[in-house]
Amino acid sequence: MLQSNKKGDFDFEWLFAIVAGAIILMLAIYGVSKIGDAQRYTTDSGVAKQLTILTDPLQAGFADGSYGKVIFNQESRINNKCDNVGFGTNSISISTRSSVGEEWKRPGAATSTAKYIFSSNLQQGKEFYVFSKSFNMPFKVADLLFVNSKKYCFVTSSETSAIENELNGLNMGNIEVGSRNNCSDDSIKVCFNSRCNISIYGNCDSSGCNSVFDEGYVEKDGKRFNYVGSLMYAAIFSDYDIYNCNVKRLIYRTANIAKVYAKKADLMNSRDCNTNLQSDMEFLASVINSSDLDSVNSIAKGIELKNGELCGLY
Amino acid sequence: MGSFVGCIKMKAGQLRIQQMAFMIIAIFFFFVLVGLAFLSYETKTTSSDFADLQKQQAISSLGVITNMPELSCGELCLDADKLEVMTSLSNSYEDVWPVASINVTKVYPKVDKWIKCPAPDCNYYSVYDSGRSSVTQYGTFVSLCKRVKEDGHVYDRCEIAKLSVGVKGVAGQ
Repeated sequence: MLQSNKKGDFDFEWLFAIVAGAIILMLAIYGVSKIGDAQRYTTDSGVAKQLTILTDPLQAGFADGSYGKVIFNQESRINNKCDNVGFGTNSISISTRSSVGEEWKRPGAATSTAKYIFSSNLQQGKEFYVFSKSFNMPFKVADLLFVNSKKYCFVTSSETSAIENELNGLNMGNIEVGSRNNCSDDSIKVCFNSRCNISIYGNCDSSGCNSVFDEGYVEKDGKRFNYVGSLMYAAIFSDYDIYNCNVKRLIYRTANIAKVYAKKADLMNSRDCNTNLQSDMEFLASVINSSDLDSVNSIAKGIELKNGELCGLY
Repeated sequence: MGSFVGCIKMKAGQLRIQQMAFMIIAIFFFFVLVGLAFLSYETKTTSSDFADLQKQQAISSLGVITNMPELSCGELCLDADKLEVMTSLSNSYEDVWPVASINVTKVYPKVDKWIKCPAPDCNYYSVYDSGRSSVTQYGTFVSLCKRVKEDGHVYDRCEIAKLSVGVKGVAGQ
C-alpha cells in the first residue's frame, strides 16, 4: 500500500512537471517567435522609411542625372506599388531574408511617397542601384528615380553617343556600356534599333530633337512602352504596370504645374512682362486626366518654342 | 499506524506538487515580466528611431521643397510669383507636401511690419498649413526671385528669404 502510493506520487509529480514544463516551453517558443516576427516587421518598416529618406539626396535636382547605391545588411526584397489617384503615390515595403523559420515573411509597413519610383513590382538583392533623372514637359515636372538590382548592358552605336556619354559619366556599378561582345553573360542587353532583351526604337524627327532617341518606344517582355525624354530609362528599369501608373501620375502633375504657370503668366502680364504663354499653359492644364503621352508632348513642344520669345516663363 | 504514515506520505506528496505548481507559476510570471520589460524597451527604441527618421526627413525635406517645380526658380531659389499662386492652390497638394507647413518670410531687405501675401508690399507667404499642432520648425535661407521687365530688359530681381517647414511631432524637440 505504502509502496504503491510512493510510486503514484513519483509518477504524478514527474508527469505534472513534464506537462507543465512542456506548456511553458511551448509558450516561450511561441512568444519568442512572435516577438521575433514583430521585431522583423518593425525593422523592415524602418528600413522602408529610411530608403525613401535616403533617396531624397539621390534625386537629380538641378543636375542632369545622379546615381547612388543602397546596400542592405542582408538580402532583401523591395516591393513597389503604385497608386495613380490624383497626384498618386509609390508605396515601398521591404522584407528581409531570414535564416530562421520561414525564409521570406510578410513585408514591413509600406511607406508611401509622392516620388516617382520606377522599378519592378518586386525585386530582390543586397545592393540596389538608384539612378535619377529629371523629367521635363517642357518645364521641369519631377525627378524620376530608377531603382534596380540587376545588371544591364547598353549596346551603343554612333547614334547613341549622348546616352553613352551620360551613362559613362555616371559610372554606375550595374551598367555596362559598349559593344555586344563586351557585355557580360548575366547582364540584360539593351539595344538601340535592334532586337535584344530590351529594344529601344527612336522616332524623334522634329527640329527640337537632340537625338532620334529623345522620343520613341521600348519593347520589353512583349510589351510596348511609349516614352519621351528620360522616361526611356523608366521604361527600361520598370514593370509595365508601374510604368503606366507613374506616367499617368506625371501627366497629372504636369497639368497641375501648368496651372501654376498659367497663373504666374497672368501675374507677369499684369506687370508688363508679357509671356504670351498663358493660353498654352491653360491648354496643357486641361489634359489633367489624360494618359496619352504623345498628345501632352506635342503641346509641350509648342510651349518650348514660344518660351523665351518675350519674358521667359520658366 | 500504517494508514497514518500513508496519510502523512500523501500529504507530503501533495505539498510537493503544490510547491512545484507555485514554482512553475513563479517561473511563468518571471518570463512574462522579462518579456514585458523587453517589449517596453523595444517600444521606446522604436519610437526613438522613428523620431530620428522624422528628423532626417524634415532636414532633407528642405532640399525637396526648394527643388519642387511648383515653387522653385533654380538652386536654392524660390519664385515669388509661384509662391503667391500656391498660397491659394496648396491645399490640393496636401498629398504631395512632405511636411506639415511651409512658410516663407523675406529677411532682406529688412522688414519692419509683417504683411501676408498676396497684398501690395507683402513679405510673408503662408504657402501651406495642415493645421496640425505640435509642429517642429526647420529653416533655411533661400533667394526669393521675381522676373521683371525694366527699361526693356528682362531679369530676375532677388531678395533673401527664410524658408521654414514644419514637421509633425518630432520627439525630443
